[in-house]
Amino acid sequence: MLRIIMALVLTVQGIAHAGPMGFKDSWMAMGDFGPNWRELWVNYALTPRDAVGGGLLYMRSDDKRKTRTLTEATYTRLLHRWNTRESQANVWLLGGIGGVEGNDFSGSKLMVSPGVQLDYETTRMYVSGMARLYRAYRTHGASGLNHDYASVRAGFSFFEADYDETQPWVIVEARRMRALSDKLEVTPMLRLINKGYFIEAGVNNSRQWRFNFMYVF
Amino acid sequence: MAGVAQANFQTIKAEVNGMVCAFCAQGIEKKMRSLTQTQDVYVDLKNKVVAVQLKDGQKLSLDTVKDLIKDAGYDVTRIETVGDSAQQIRAATRARK
Repeated sequence: MLRIIMALVLTVQGIAHAGPMGFKDSWMAMGDFGPNWRELWVNYALTPRDAVGGGLLYMRSDDKRKTRTLTEATYTRLLHRWNTRESQANVWLLGGIGGVEGNDFSGSKLMVSPGVQLDYETTRMYVSGMARLYRAYRTHGASGLNHDYASVRAGFSFFEADYDETQPWVIVEARRMRALSDKLEVTPMLRLINKGYFIEAGVNNSRQWRFNFMYVF
Repeated sequence: MAGVAQANFQTIKAEVNGMVCAFCAQGIEKKMRSLTQTQDVYVDLKNKVVAVQLKDGQKLSLDTVKDLIKDAGYDVTRIETVGDSAQQIRAATRARK
């Protein structure tokens, strides 16, 4: 089963992070795919504010020599939400614990990945920031790992859309991950939001394609 | 002269804060459609309105609708029962544009 899921992850490619969980009693699947970063999450919202799930993350260095594959159990907490007539803002806590494997060390290391995401959205404008630690600690003489990650996103929509219409957005994301890439990855993307799906596609400053999606079921 | 029978609809209409995108607001529609009492649902993103039309003879409390919208992640600022159908509310909204 794990191989099937990994195959799915490796054939598609980056995560959208508009809101990392759905509504109470819903399942949400999220994917973020590119040559150096492939991520797939599925979580279930136990309450309007808490979701548990699992995720798979494949990371590769810019020179393609170093890889990491993280399989983790995740917890997402909506710490606070501000709803106004014209906007919504959120503070999310993200957490993960799992095993990471790499092509430059043997076996699997225990990795923890706590993080925080802030976002603000109106019908025409979107901004968000996310910081997440990806740490595997030194054990029995084996060295630790630090792949801490940060991203910011900003975008706008061309027009307001009705509930049953598809709304196009332009989103620009800048992100960086420690110890695998020295570059700031910048990706302009076209986002399409519909009541049934959320997809993004773009090309980054290394001319690599990216595709993100979210789906609630 | 034979009169035209006027349908007597019962629709719960709520004004909702935080509804800024269709993908996020889908939870409201799904929650409302899962109720056995629901005939039709209309979500108006621009005017921040959710209308839940009930089946003939069905009852649903305003608090239930309010709680379901809260569970979907939003805040209700006003809620009332009106005599229009969800379709009529949709048509009236579109006529104003």
